[in-house]
Amino acid sequence: MRLLVVEDDNTIRDFLTRALAESGFGVDACAQGCEAERLALEGVHDALVVDLNLPDGDGLDLIQRLRSQGVSSPVLILSARRSVDERVLGLERGGDDYMTKPFAVAELQARLRSLLRRSTPGQSETTRLRVADLEIDLIRREARRAGIELQLTQQEFALLEYLCRNAGRVVTRAMVLDHVWKMRIDTSTNIVDVHIHRLRNKVDRESQRPLIRTIRGVGYLLRE
Amino acid sequence: MFSRLARFFYRTAAWRLALQTTLVFAAASASVFLAMYFIVARTVRERSDSWLTGESETLRQVALSTPRDALYSRIVEEVAELATQEFSWDGGTANTGGNTVFFAQIGNTSEPPLWVGPQNSGAFLGLLRTLNIPQHQAVSLRVAGFAEPFRVVAVDVAPGAGHIYLGLLDRGAEHLLRQLLVRFFLGWLFMVAFGFLLTLFGLRRLLNRVDDITGAAASIRTDDLGTRVPIGTQHDEIARLARTFNSMLDRISASVNQLRTLTDSVAHDLKSPITSVRGSLEIALSLEDREQSQDLIASAIENLDRLSEVVTTSLDLAEADGGALRLRRESLDLSDLVHRVAELYAPAIADAQQHLTVSAPEPVPIVADLSLCTRLLSNLMENELRYAGPGAHISVVVTSRASTGSVAVEDDGPGFPMDLLPRVLQRFVKGSNSQGHGLGLAFVSAVAHAHAGVATASNRATGGARILVEFPLSDSPRVTGDDGLADNLLTSS
Repeated sequence: MRLLVVEDDNTIRDFLTRALAESGFGVDACAQGCEAERLALEGVHDALVVDLNLPDGDGLDLIQRLRSQGVSSPVLILSARRSVDERVLGLERGGDDYMTKPFAVAELQARLRSLLRRSTPGQSETTRLRVADLEIDLIRREARRAGIELQLTQQEFALLEYLCRNAGRVVTRAMVLDHVWKMRIDTSTNIVDVHIHRLRNKVDRESQRPLIRTIRGVGYLLRE
Repeated sequence: MFSRLARFFYRTAAWRLALQTTLVFAAASASVFLAMYFIVARTVRERSDSWLTGESETLRQVALSTPRDALYSRIVEEVAELATQEFSWDGGTANTGGNTVFFAQIGNTSEPPLWVGPQNSGAFLGLLRTLNIPQHQAVSLRVAGFAEPFRVVAVDVAPGAGHIYLGLLDRGAEHLLRQLLVRFFLGWLFMVAFGFLLTLFGLRRLLNRVDDITGAAASIRTDDLGTRVPIGTQHDEIARLARTFNSMLDRISASVNQLRTLTDSVAHDLKSPITSVRGSLEIALSLEDREQSQDLIASAIENLDRLSEVVTTSLDLAEADGGALRLRRESLDLSDLVHRVAELYAPAIADAQQHLTVSAPEPVPIVADLSLCTRLLSNLMENELRYAGPGAHISVVVTSRASTGSVAVEDDGPGFPMDLLPRVLQRFVKGSNSQGHGLGLAFVSAVAHAHAGVATASNRATGGARILVEFPLSDSPRVTGDDGLADNLLTSS
């Protein structure tokens, strides 16, 4: 998978390049809109990460130009502008997802993966998820650990499903709130930790091998 | 002197306004005076004309019944004499020698015309013969040697029997009318001049007050917003301008003060976590122990998250205060939203040994920004979580009444400190034991205002805090309003 990062801020561009390269992407990076246009038109990139504030024009214009020239790779917009209007405008002008700064690297990776999944069709929707001895039946909405059914509330089930779908990858608190509760809120309280704690009590208590881990400062990870 | 005057005219609008007003006034009053003059002139003329017509008719009767002899001449002279006296308007000055009336009878036969009047009868008779004066109609006749014209009436004695002409030198009336005109003109001139000066003076006084406001505005600097414009005792437009100007200054001064407080608070709220982040990272760099250094890095990230939250909320509040908070309104059910947020917070509240009860039995439809309302409710819950204390009973009640949907969040904790209560919804107002930044409730209030609602904070009589947020109800029934977030988890078969 090859990505094109368009970001004028040197610090952010460098750390993005490094972080994305470490998670296995091939990364091209540039700071200017015109250079980005030239690179993107080569058509070798699977996804684009575009900052809206570019030295030679607005990132939205760049995206619109690329779209009109047939570049169909998904575009993730990065912006310091936070308003919902900006988000909607970005998506209308050809962006596929929108992230505001500051953001967690884990979330950026997750969103890119989700974009790339969406752009490669043909994957069948799974009805079962399995991590180690944890099994989730998405149709019957049942979860089993080592064959024993777990008594989960609807919310706990949704949370566990989200963690399983992202098994092996870190999810942040904001991602959990956004995807499981459909709420975009910043919180410095421990509300998500409490939910995770309760879920962990049900999933990991009987087992010698805990699956759900807390990565301090970042979020949570479900892994064998 | 001249240049000073020129500068005065250049620098004030008063003279221009006064000039315009005066010109209009002058034109109007001149036309009124002229109309009056012409009415008087006509009346005066009509009076002499009707006398002439009447007398000429009498003379015709006399001429018909009396042969032209000495008696007839006497009668005619009598008439002329009477007229001269009657029409001497101002006691004799106009009456010079009784020559103000003439009488002429010109026959068709060869007998000489009968003439009573001024000496140079030739000029008169010549004129009368050449001019074909219609009967019973006064006309003006100018004769050489007389400054004023004569009014002349002609009558036929009998068909084919010649004409009688009776003329009256209108000296008195002419004089009267001329005097009237002169006086009218002088009076008009005085009125116009006086009016101009009065208007100029009045306007100048009025505009001086505008100058005062200009002076006050010019003397205002950002570091000194204390200057105010004198208002005076009047209640006119300029007094209103002055009052508006002063209240504008009050508001500017309030926002500048607020900005100062904000800068101070932000400086404080940002600098401490930045210092601790920097410190943690420095120590982490120098530590050999990987576990310990990771711990420090994690705490640095947590601090940064908190910082980012402060910045985001501060910016939202600044936008809300500037009226720039853009809402994406959609129909939503306040009760449903409260249930969802309460579900999210319930485990954390239970962990804090607090008891939460939610009463939202009925749908309460409002048209509001889902994301902002969610954050509003989450702020209210976090407030309880942080400050209601262990063992507190928290109740959330959603009701709708008339045109208002409201959420009341109450607890039986310590309540708001009395000294903070009136300001608790303002920015950066927080209790001494608060670890927050004093933004949460300010945000609640700002979001409520942005939705044309209101938030109020109070202490309950039985102890504990109460926050009431009211929204205007929407008239439309509830429309499901998912804001289109990626949702691939809760889809069931």
